[in-house]
Amino acid sequence: MTDLAESAARKPVDDAVRRHIERFLYREALLLDERRFDEWLTLFTEDAHYWMPVRRDKPRKAGDDEFTTESELAFFDETKDSLTRRVAKLATGLAWAEEPPSRTRHLITNVDADEGDTAAEVVVGSNFIVYRTRLESKQDLFVGRREDTLRRSSDSWQIARRKIMLDMTVIFADNMSIFF
Amino acid sequence: MNPSDLIDLDRGLIDRRIFSDPDIYRRELENIFARSWLYLGHECQFKDVGDFVTTYMGEDPVLVCRGSDGQLRAFLNTCRHRGNRICRMDEGNANHFTCAYHGWTYTHDGKLVGVPSYKEFWFEELNRDEWGLVPVPHVDSYKGLVFGNLDPQAPPLLDYLGDMAWYLDLMLDRQAGGTEVIGGVQKWIVSANWKFAAENFVGDMYHGSLTHASAFKVGFGGGGNSTNIVRDTAPLGYQIALPGGHGLGSGWVPDGNASAGSVADIADFYRDIMPDTEQRLGTVRARHMSPVHGTVFPNLSFLFGTRTLRVWHPKGPEKIEVWAWVLVERDAPPEIKDAIRLSCLRRFSPAGTWEQDDADNWMQATQASRGVATRRVRLNYQMGLGHEGTHDALRGRIGPFYSDTCQRNFYQHWAQQLAE
Repeated sequence: MTDLAESAARKPVDDAVRRHIERFLYREALLLDERRFDEWLTLFTEDAHYWMPVRRDKPRKAGDDEFTTESELAFFDETKDSLTRRVAKLATGLAWAEEPPSRTRHLITNVDADEGDTAAEVVVGSNFIVYRTRLESKQDLFVGRREDTLRRSSDSWQIARRKIMLDMTVIFADNMSIFF
Repeated sequence: MNPSDLIDLDRGLIDRRIFSDPDIYRRELENIFARSWLYLGHECQFKDVGDFVTTYMGEDPVLVCRGSDGQLRAFLNTCRHRGNRICRMDEGNANHFTCAYHGWTYTHDGKLVGVPSYKEFWFEELNRDEWGLVPVPHVDSYKGLVFGNLDPQAPPLLDYLGDMAWYLDLMLDRQAGGTEVIGGVQKWIVSANWKFAAENFVGDMYHGSLTHASAFKVGFGGGGNSTNIVRDTAPLGYQIALPGGHGLGSGWVPDGNASAGSVADIADFYRDIMPDTEQRLGTVRARHMSPVHGTVFPNLSFLFGTRTLRVWHPKGPEKIEVWAWVLVERDAPPEIKDAIRLSCLRRFSPAGTWEQDDADNWMQATQASRGVATRRVRLNYQMGLGHEGTHDALRGRIGPFYSDTCQRNFYQHWAQQLAE
């Protein structure tokens, strides 16, 4: 969850910049849904960190402690290199959980962007619903929020950090062989 | 349906109904899950008085808690009054447990200490001593792993584990400090019968090179960032079938250069602590065994090199809730713990590059077992049949590394338990 004090201290980006960022995220979602994973990878910086911590039921007073920390377990804790190898895995024709491939639809909403720690970065929050169906009758729904750090790259953006926060504690899916 | 009619281990045949039949599933809950020693958690999760986790034994919800006397106890996680779940958190530390329905309050030790309006509405007549939380009759631990047993007549944990304890030491006792689990539990639902998962971990070396071919091809064989794989599969090894349905598969290294860990820097760590390991475990286990996989009957499985530890919670004949942890040496340097964490999670989790492909196989095998004609076709567990014996240095019944030795042993015990 976003630290409210921290987000209050951040300055929202101009509307024009925000629209540009929205378009970037929508385009990214399209690349995933159209399985253009090699193109999707180019949207990440070389030092990118792609992370989905584990959520758990804890007392309300525990606050952010609902999520595991970076030194604890996660569902994804990836570098550009390991993401690249995950994409290469799909192309082998032997990645059975994606053979035949899943059909996904990434719905990205509630996009908000603030200025980041440096002039080159923005901090972007977005909500997502990812619908995934596979074979005759498999249906999975993944709902949550992403917090991205985007870095300016010539006339567009690259993802330097992505934290994916699922709303589920127990994952109601046989596997997560897709991307978020 | 007589369980012994469902399996014919002399011929290596198993009836598919055991993977989908609701009646068989109900008998499993009664005869296996309510009578076996089941994994509840790791001691490191219960450091302080009041530390608790909630989990399941079969489909029974349980609460495990360190009491004010330092004792670790487990209780059915249900209020004695109207049966509401007493603790709804996954883990934490509590002074006491209060039911959200009418407010009955229990201590860490399970004693009922609070009954709202005890004087006014109960006329002080309720004997609170008789209405504490229902305890799990036996809780015990083996080198950090905490187990519980719902059967008052259960044998002691060490008797139940038998020779499996000797082999578990390869994961739990390499260093004086023992082990701990990394924070967080990966939990997910797999639409498969729990036995497909348990039998895969008890004895299935055979599937690796095909099921996980894509992961090997792109450098996830060793996991982590490293593509420097020390060893993916040992050239020589055995399946080791033990009384009680337990089993494991292990590489056998004749020259005595066995090492744990399959990624370079992790393997270096285990090599560095080898003098300590050899002193603790002896030469046979420390220097000649490279264990890979195993299952403690019925539903605790692990991979020795990858360090994943998981429970297959049954949730009906066609559903498993998997809970997975990463086990590390408590005294390992932080960078080694982190290397093990990354190497494990990138391979084993619902998103793991290995595990995502396992679930798919078990799901398909389970769902096809529903069909009337399909379930009449018996499944083949004949690999290595008649090629089993003993080994001078090892305990248990020994079969070829690539064989169904441990699966046959698992189902033999399963059928005995179900019949009793």
